[in-house]
Amino acid sequence: MKNFINWFDDRLPIFSVIKHSTTEYPAPKNLNYWWNFGSLALICLVTQILTGLFLAMHYKPDAATAFDSIQHIMRDVEWGWLLRYVHMVGAHFFFIVVYIHIFRGLYFGSYKQPREVLWGLGVVILFLMILTAFMGYVLPWGQMSYWGATVITNLLSVIPLVGDNVVVWLWGGYSVGDPTLNRFFALHFLMPFVIVGVVFLHLWALHHKGSNNPKGIDLKKETDWIPFHPYYTIKDTFGLGVYFIFFLGMVFYAPNILGHTDNYIPANPMVTPSHIVPEWYFLPFYAILRAIPSKLIGVVAMVAAILILFALPWLDRSKVRAATFRPIYKQMFWIFLINCFVLGWVGANPPEGMYVLIGRVATVLYFAFFLLLPVVSRFEKTKPVPTSL
Amino acid sequence: MKKALLLIALFAGIVAAQPAPTYAAGDGAVPPEMEWSFRGFNPEWDVEQIFRGYKVATQVCMACHSFKYIKHRDLMKLGFSEEQVASLADEMGLGLDDKLISALTTEAALMSYGTEIPDLSLMNMARPHGADYLHALLVGYEEAPEGVSVPAGKHYNKYFPGHVIAMPKPLTMDGQVEYPEGSKVEPTVDQMAKDVSAFIEWTGEPILVKRKTLGVYVLLYLLIFTILSYMLMKSIWSDVKKK
Repeated sequence: MKNFINWFDDRLPIFSVIKHSTTEYPAPKNLNYWWNFGSLALICLVTQILTGLFLAMHYKPDAATAFDSIQHIMRDVEWGWLLRYVHMVGAHFFFIVVYIHIFRGLYFGSYKQPREVLWGLGVVILFLMILTAFMGYVLPWGQMSYWGATVITNLLSVIPLVGDNVVVWLWGGYSVGDPTLNRFFALHFLMPFVIVGVVFLHLWALHHKGSNNPKGIDLKKETDWIPFHPYYTIKDTFGLGVYFIFFLGMVFYAPNILGHTDNYIPANPMVTPSHIVPEWYFLPFYAILRAIPSKLIGVVAMVAAILILFALPWLDRSKVRAATFRPIYKQMFWIFLINCFVLGWVGANPPEGMYVLIGRVATVLYFAFFLLLPVVSRFEKTKPVPTSL
Repeated sequence: MKKALLLIALFAGIVAAQPAPTYAAGDGAVPPEMEWSFRGFNPEWDVEQIFRGYKVATQVCMACHSFKYIKHRDLMKLGFSEEQVASLADEMGLGLDDKLISALTTEAALMSYGTEIPDLSLMNMARPHGADYLHALLVGYEEAPEGVSVPAGKHYNKYFPGHVIAMPKPLTMDGQVEYPEGSKVEPTVDQMAKDVSAFIEWTGEPILVKRKTLGVYVLLYLLIFTILSYMLMKSIWSDVKKK
C-alpha cells in the first residue's frame, strides 16, 4: 500500500498536497472562535450544493408548475421537506456566517498587506453569493419571488441608453415571466460552482500567506505556530457542532421564520403585494438604494457599497492590523457594524417618514467609514503592538 | 468577551426583528393568540379536531375554495383507515386520489365575487399569524364602523388587511355543520372557525408534527456530538502552551 501511495504521489502529488495543507500547514496558535466562521462558510457552501442538487431533481423551472413542484417536494418526495428546509434556512445561515466572517476580517485587519488579494477574492465570493441567493429566491415562484425579481431586475434600466433593452434581454420578454424563471434556474445551478472556483483561489491565497491572528502581527517565532491538523480540524469540528445546533434548531422548529409569508402565495402578475421586501441579508443594500432620490445614483451607490470593499486594503493606511491596538478604528468599526443593522432595519420598513431621514444618515455613515479611513489611519495613535504571542 | 456577546445579541436582534411584518395604516388588527395542539416544542395533531375541521372545510369552504394539494388518501397519515377514508371520499363523489377541488369554476367565481378565489391548502403558511389569523378572520365579520364605506357586494372584517373582504361571512350560525357523533364540542361559529383553522394548518404542512418530533432527536444527537468534540478538542489542545 505504501509503495502504491508513493508511486501514485510521484506521478500526481495528491497525497503530498493534502499533507502539506493539513498536518504541515502552520496556523497561529492563538486563533479565537471568530476564526471558525471560515470553515463554517465552506460547510454552508457544500450543504447548499448538495441539497440543491437533490432539490433540482424534483423541481420544475416552469412558471406554470414551479410553485406546485415545491409543494410536491414538501409532500410527496421522501425527505423532500427536509431537503428544502435545509436549503432554505441554509441560505439564511450562509449569509449570517459569511457576514460574521467579513466583520472578523474587518476587526482584526485581515484585509491588510499581505492579504489584499485574499480579501478581494472574498468580496468576489460575497458578490457571487448575492447574485446566487437573489436568483434562488425567485425559483419558488411565490409573490415575493416574482415581485422581488421585478423590482431588482428593473434597476438595470438605469443603465444609460441601453438600460431598457438590457432589462428586456434579461427577462426574455416584456416582464418577469417563464423565460426569466427558466434562465434564473440555470444560472442558480451554475453559480455555486463558480463560487467553488473562487473559494479555491481564496484558500490558495490563504495558504500561501497563512492566517492572520487576533493580535494582527506577523509571527516570527516558530513556537507561535501549530499544525492546522489536528488542532484546528478538531476546533472546527466543535464549532460545527455548535453551529448545527442553531442551524438545525431553526430547520426543525422555525424554518419559515426568516421568510416572508407572501411567498406561499403563487406569483400573480396582476396583484402587487403591499410591501415588497427583499430577504434580510439584502436589506442594508436595499436601504442604501432607497436612501437616494435619484434611481440612477441609488443603484450606483448600492453597487458601490459592495465594490468599495475591494479598495479597503488601500484606503486603510495603518500598519497596525488588529483593532485591539487602534483606538479610533475600533470605535469606527463598532459604529460601522451597528450602522449596518440600522440600514437593515430601515430597509425592512416602508420608505416614508422618519425612515427616509435615518436611511440617508446611515448611508452617509456607511460610506464615511471608508472615506475617513485614509485620514484617520494616518493620524491615529496606535497602542504598542507585541512582537510575538 | 463582552464584545462577542454584544455581537451575538445584535445578530439575535436581527433574527428577532425580522419576522415582524410591517403594518401600514389600514392593515388588519393583530389576531388574538389561541391555544393550538400543534404549537410549541412537543406538538401533536388533534385528529378529532382536524376531522371536525375537515367537515367544515368540505361542507362550507369547498362551496367556493379548493384544497388542491390534498387528496383523501392523505388523511390516512393521520391514522384513518383506508375504508374510512374511502367512504368519506365516496360521500363527496370522489376517489381516494382525487384532489379536493371545488365545483366553483374560476369564471363563475369572477362573476359572483369579482375576484379569483384562493386555494386554501397553504392559507396558514401564507399569512402572518397563521391559524390565529384564520380563526380571527372567520369570526371577525362585523358592521363597518361609522364613516367607513364598504362597496356593494363586499364585507367588513376587522382582521382582513384593508378591512374590505370579498368573501361573505362563511360561518353564519351555530350548528351550521353537523359534527360527528360523540364530538366533545358543539359546532358553534367560534368552534367551527377554530377547527377549520386547525385543519388548514394540517393541509399547509402535513409534516409539521413529524418535523418537530424528529428535531428533538437531531438536537440531542448534536448535543452529544458537540460535547464529545469539545472534550476531544480540550485533550488535543492540552499540549499547546498558552504563551
